[in-house]
Amino acid sequence: MAAVSDFIAIVGERNTITEGSELRTYEADGLPGFRVRPAVVVLPETTEQVAACVRLARALGMPIVPRGSGTGLSGGALPVEGCVVIGLSRMKAILEVDLPNRRMRVQPGVINLNISRHLAAAGYYYAPDPSSQSVCSIGGNVAENSGGAHCLKYGFTVNHAVGATIVTAEGDIVSVGAHGGEPDTLGYDLMGVFVGSEGLLGIVTEVLVRILRTPQATRTIFATFPTTDEAGAAVSSIISAGIVPAAIEMMDQLAIEAIVAATRVDWPLDVGAALLMDVDGVAAEVEHTADAAIAALRAAGAIEIRSPRDDGERALMWKGRKGAFAAMGRISPNYYVQDGVIPRKEIVAVLRDIARLASEAGLRVANVFHAGDGNLHPLILYDGRIPGQEALAERVGGEILKTCIRYGGSITGEHGVGFDKAAYMGDLFTEDDLATMQLVRCAFDRDVIFNPNKVFPTPRLCGDRPGIYHPHAAELAEVAGRG
Amino acid sequence: MTIAGVEPRNVATPADVGELAAAVRDLYADGKPFAFVGGGTELELGNAPRTLDTVVVTTACNRVIDYAPEDQTITVEAGMTVAAVCAVLAEHHQFLAFDVPDPDRTTIGGAIATNAYGRRRLRFGPIKDNIVGIAIVRPDGVVAHGGGKVVKNVAGFDIPKLMVGALGTLGAVVSATLRVHPRSEHGAAVALRNLTAAGVLRVCADIVEAALVPTSIVAFDDGGERYDCVVAFDGFRGGVDEQVRSMTGIAERLRCDASQPSPAELELLEARERSARCEAPWRVHLGAAPTKLAEFLARNDMAGIGRIYYPAIGSAILTANALSAATIERWRSDLDAGTVVVNAMPLAARGAIDAWGAPPPSWPIMRQLKANFDPKGLCNPGRFVGGI
Repeated sequence: MAAVSDFIAIVGERNTITEGSELRTYEADGLPGFRVRPAVVVLPETTEQVAACVRLARALGMPIVPRGSGTGLSGGALPVEGCVVIGLSRMKAILEVDLPNRRMRVQPGVINLNISRHLAAAGYYYAPDPSSQSVCSIGGNVAENSGGAHCLKYGFTVNHAVGATIVTAEGDIVSVGAHGGEPDTLGYDLMGVFVGSEGLLGIVTEVLVRILRTPQATRTIFATFPTTDEAGAAVSSIISAGIVPAAIEMMDQLAIEAIVAATRVDWPLDVGAALLMDVDGVAAEVEHTADAAIAALRAAGAIEIRSPRDDGERALMWKGRKGAFAAMGRISPNYYVQDGVIPRKEIVAVLRDIARLASEAGLRVANVFHAGDGNLHPLILYDGRIPGQEALAERVGGEILKTCIRYGGSITGEHGVGFDKAAYMGDLFTEDDLATMQLVRCAFDRDVIFNPNKVFPTPRLCGDRPGIYHPHAAELAEVAGRG
Repeated sequence: MTIAGVEPRNVATPADVGELAAAVRDLYADGKPFAFVGGGTELELGNAPRTLDTVVVTTACNRVIDYAPEDQTITVEAGMTVAAVCAVLAEHHQFLAFDVPDPDRTTIGGAIATNAYGRRRLRFGPIKDNIVGIAIVRPDGVVAHGGGKVVKNVAGFDIPKLMVGALGTLGAVVSATLRVHPRSEHGAAVALRNLTAAGVLRVCADIVEAALVPTSIVAFDDGGERYDCVVAFDGFRGGVDEQVRSMTGIAERLRCDASQPSPAELELLEARERSARCEAPWRVHLGAAPTKLAEFLARNDMAGIGRIYYPAIGSAILTANALSAATIERWRSDLDAGTVVVNAMPLAARGAIDAWGAPPPSWPIMRQLKANFDPKGLCNPGRFVGGI
């Protein structure tokens, strides 16, 4: 195949995958249930190689699907028929650490947690901490605008990734955002819109991130409640009292059961919900904030409030929380992760609605989520061996999203729209809103070669006006696909 | 009313967002160039529009749409002033971290369009970190939304970010959902005096090293080459007191004169900051990595130039009664990987100086973005970076 040899000429044979079990790895990402075989996978090692691959794919009329570690849960890195997957996992160098300006320049394949590990001895860290941080890459974080537990206080990837080198749809290498650590850049905030663009606007090959000084003190508080009602009310009362913890995570009874089964945490099983909370900052401030938070927890009806005995126990508690999705395997053969957002004051009402939806469907739903931001992660448990259960679980997931929208929330807080939720975008945004986003997309990628069929419900090529869909010539020639 | 010296033929004051969108739709259909104005506090920003028929004033669109204190968000129409929003928030002991020098006149839409910045950005982030959703009227009059009402949301492209600092060249911001913050129980400041630019930077480094969390750090020129630096803390009393003690310790170790300024003294400094940002005939906004900006300030002759310096952000406002195009050019070539934006200059100087300087390498994408939003090139034409 001529195309393959051309890609080999750019990245070398060992960085080109065309068959076998290795190719199968790239047929899916973290979104279960969907597999598409790409035509070829390339793993470039330099920005120039990425650019050459994009130019080649463009010349060949192949769609391009960028990929980081492949941990995404919305199918953002799911291949499309006939595409080249450009994987960035071999670009994992830390290029520059600038402590005086608290900036760091890294390649996109660097694993999120490795940034903080690299900085730990110097007393600095990188704030966004998705639960997959030990395996997800910073390039993927930029594409998805990844969050994490500690976003509540410190913000998301978009608040920390301040500049990037990107390869455009034309195969040009362009710097967007800050390139030298300047606080503002001239012109439109292209970096602001690039972060979270889910691989539709370009491929990131270098990222400039802000790094933070490790706080003087951190206090972790664990509290249990009779039901999610009291736990939800506790979250609302903490936020509305003006207390700003670094993180507040909620786990319901099922989630606690799974976590206890999977780890060595000694959390009680006979409670309805638990909150895990971090308070950090200047030592005296932390003491005061923690005391105020504990008073709020107590007033909301906490059964037990405790703090870890030492750093080891603290790490174990957080490991339990961050490993919660994987722990579901202990209590269910399969599970379907949902990601929705609601106003924080609505937590109690929405959790009740979710419980009702689950019981009507005859399925169990575990809840483990970023309560401080109102970012829900219902885990819909099902048994894939029972015919119809998977589809039922998906249907319940969809109903949960519609519930989030009804309460004034969003269909995704951090996992992205990707392939999974494109169909729901029309419930959240008007036709004009989506057309406006297309104006942005087409400024970066006129021919829609990056990640077609993702994010937007109706594929539309640039220059089309809203209205009846007309297939583009490239699509008729089966070069570009439709979802 | 003139925009960067250009007078419009007409001024329209639509009564609500519907009227505003209709007005824009008509102007666009008729091929008439237009610009949006809020409180009119930054009309000197940017280059002179190439042509201008109508100014559309947004100040009548000034309702609170939804305030959810328990969610720490407020949705307002963009013609509301920053002060009016803060007055609503004060009832629930909350505030908006939009540090504009003239909050009684600056509108929310204007603050967003000009990427207004200020001292508390150090703690609360730039404006873009404080917007979670937006509604715009596009240059063709279409109303579109981006983001949402919740503080965490990754659905769709981040249209709010794109509107920050775009100077209304992609359309008008007509409403926004903003992140608000709880007011602190207590605040205090420490002033360190007679520092060089390098000394100011050293103070910042020691603050980071001690893991203190100041709300703002502002250095004022002392009339000569040196600076007086005010570090402010907010929070619960115990935390603030502890940080003030640490700050005094830092000053002692650096052997510099430090004291807690009186409220009157702070008021005076704030007034000076406001006037430098609103009134000086020449106002130049510098931005660079903190170490690079400190080096720039140390190596350039700053005699006769007022400096409001935000050292930890990497930002400074230089003010003067007279400056030459050659000086601006020299600063631009001297400030490595930084920005030198002339926020205000006398009309006579406009021909010789581009307010923004050379466009960044990603400018071709910006130009395409503008062309997609405004194919006829009617919305604030020529005022933005690189002639956009």
